Amino acid sequence: MAPDSPAPALALRGLRKRFGATIAVDGLDLDIPSGSFYGIVGPNGAGKTTTLSMATGLLTPDAGTVLVHGIDLWKEPDRAKPTLGVLPDGLRTFDRLTGAELISYAGLLRGLAPAMVEERRDDLLAALDLDAVGRTLVADYSAGMTKKIALACALVHAPRVLVLDEPFEAVDPVSAKAIRRILQDFAATGGTVVMSSHVMALVERVCDHVAIVGHGRVLAYGTLEEVSGGLDLEERFVGLIGDTSERRDLTWLRQS
Amino acid sequence: MVATVLRLRFTTTKHQLQREWWRVLVLVGGAVWAASLLPSTWWASRALEQQNAGVRGDALAAISAILILGWVVVPVLITGLDDTLDPGRFSSLGVAPRSIMPGLTVSIFLTLPSAFFLIVLAMLAMSWRPDGSATLAVAFAWAALTHATMVLSARVSVAWTSRVLQSRRAREAALVAILLGALVATPVAYAVVAEGLDTILNIDVPALLEALRWTPIGLPVAAVSAAATGEWWSATWRLAASLAWILLLHGVWRANVAYTLVHPTYRGGGARARDDAILAAAKRSEAGRLRRPGSAQRAVASRARRYWFTDPRYLSGLVSVMVFPALFFTLVYPIFGSPVAVVVAVPVLLAGTIGWARHNDVAFDSTALWLDVVSGRLGREVMRGRVAATLAWAVPLVTVAGLAALGLAGRWDLAPAEFGAIAGVLGTSLGVSAMSAVALPYRAPAPGENPFSAEVGSVGAGFLAQVVSSISAWIVAVPVTLPLVAAIRWDARIGWLGLVLGLATGVGVLVVSTRWAGRLYDRKSGRLVTAVA
Repeated sequence: MAPDSPAPALALRGLRKRFGATIAVDGLDLDIPSGSFYGIVGPNGAGKTTTLSMATGLLTPDAGTVLVHGIDLWKEPDRAKPTLGVLPDGLRTFDRLTGAELISYAGLLRGLAPAMVEERRDDLLAALDLDAVGRTLVADYSAGMTKKIALACALVHAPRVLVLDEPFEAVDPVSAKAIRRILQDFAATGGTVVMSSHVMALVERVCDHVAIVGHGRVLAYGTLEEVSGGLDLEERFVGLIGDTSERRDLTWLRQS
Repeated sequence: MVATVLRLRFTTTKHQLQREWWRVLVLVGGAVWAASLLPSTWWASRALEQQNAGVRGDALAAISAILILGWVVVPVLITGLDDTLDPGRFSSLGVAPRSIMPGLTVSIFLTLPSAFFLIVLAMLAMSWRPDGSATLAVAFAWAALTHATMVLSARVSVAWTSRVLQSRRAREAALVAILLGALVATPVAYAVVAEGLDTILNIDVPALLEALRWTPIGLPVAAVSAAATGEWWSATWRLAASLAWILLLHGVWRANVAYTLVHPTYRGGGARARDDAILAAAKRSEAGRLRRPGSAQRAVASRARRYWFTDPRYLSGLVSVMVFPALFFTLVYPIFGSPVAVVVAVPVLLAGTIGWARHNDVAFDSTALWLDVVSGRLGREVMRGRVAATLAWAVPLVTVAGLAALGLAGRWDLAPAEFGAIAGVLGTSLGVSAMSAVALPYRAPAPGENPFSAEVGSVGAGFLAQVVSSISAWIVAVPVTLPLVAAIRWDARIGWLGLVLGLATGVGVLVVSTRWAGRLYDRKSGRLVTAVA
């Protein structure tokens, strides 16, 4: 790294996490440059969610450091956490609140003034097409709506870095387009987006950088062009991960 | 299919025991304790043998009624009921009730409590030995039928309670249950006061036992009594009727299993529009400007208040802390009367129960607590907000209970001592719970789950947390109740010292331990989500 280049938006150094006998993340290093739209792809069980949990303060790493714009997240959470916006995957939300209340809750936790919370809440509900259900309990939401409301909670305090685990999962195409536009605007004005996904086409379409993760390590990273090397991202991915499963035809599944 | 279901059950248990060796200790301890009760049962059986058939029949009718009532009520009140074979878990497999019912039926009888009570009932049946082997055979039929009624009633009561609580009408249902309870309890209590306990024991209880013989609970006992007097026809139809009753119970349970199989837990329902109460609360406090707590703490408190009054898991907790004082003031006190010391102890006990019940508070958020964790170093605000939400209903409740106790006992001079002890115990027990909730969280039923179920594997960790938190709560709570004891015993004026001491200790311990819990929350924040997941 050149000495005059600014600190990366998110720097993961030697991250390691073990669950019993399974090593989920195995000394992972990754620098995410400021202003990039970074995609993290990998097969199921590659350690994407574990890595992002450690990068956002949700899971204590066994070893390694996480630097958010140069600030150590695990040593100085007071300074690092306010700059992060987080959308985890597979966790619950406080679903006995309404969508509007959940956004207000997130805003108030972040220490915003009530008047500002109200303004941003209404903007977010409108932008994510949740106007009609803002007064409904989150428990009554569909999976995609829950994803969108959680995204709104990640955005409400205007963070510098967004870390999103599978932000487009279960989201319909119209909403996906709206979310994409919001995130691309955010990155264009200097914000950083880190998202995980296993949909290659989506990553190719929205991200400018990509890292391929497998067995808890980074297998390839860089700009989209560097990583795909002229190939289709999916081919490159399969080439790196290896088509591990033995091909066995399920003849009994054939209808005729 | 029976074998498959049973194998599933025992494999799950085996894996559980392998993962948490503690559960073996709990299991063995329970078995030893149960076995230690058997000699006294044997002795009771021998004592009954000496009685005439009439007394024996009455005694066994009463025992059947109490045991069945216990099996209906206890599984609903305690959490941690074995739900390995919760029919809801089969709902994605597309099995018909017809194919899993036989397996489920066999498995509910293959539990330790079921085995223990079968032995107890068989021992009691032996008391009919003097009446000949034919009567003894009918007595064993009584044991088998009563046992089946117990085990099946437990299933039916748990299934229906959780079905009601899972519905959107949970709050209304809880209110109706409390009202009905009060409606039944109050006239009984006043009848007792009016007629006196002796009259009740001599006239009403025998009448009740006689009536019991015509209910499904007493029918098998009546059959044995009939057999003892040689009325075989009467014995036969009674046995047949109670067999029909068991089939009916089984049918009701089966209907519920069938319902659960096609109605997996779904938390949605009518979309009810609400205004943003969280923001409204924040705005009110901003307008108030009176030593405004941090907005984060406010937000956590309003969120927790919402959960207290809408989530069945919290509602059932709210109702269960009130059961004992409500029973005491409406039933026990009017009937039996009580010394002043007991009456004024009840609100103090209520305060302690409320406090201790929060010892796993954090885990009730389940993984939703990620939002609190990623939002900054908010441990102190989060813990204070939670405590504030509990105090919002607990303080009025213990105040009313304290006033009621002082009024009933007619000892207004004890007021300072009483409220000192209440404040001390509420504060210290909530403080201990706040620390335990962060230090030793264990899996709680997830939102929308049956509030009476415990996640598989929670018994071990939960056991440790419960033992540690209750012992610590006792240790810190006992000293603040001493002035109350002294005030009753010697001089009510000591109560003023108690009031100062209780308020100071309660508030002091609560503030300090909440702060400590908050700091621990921050330190453990990277492990909390996994601890409660």
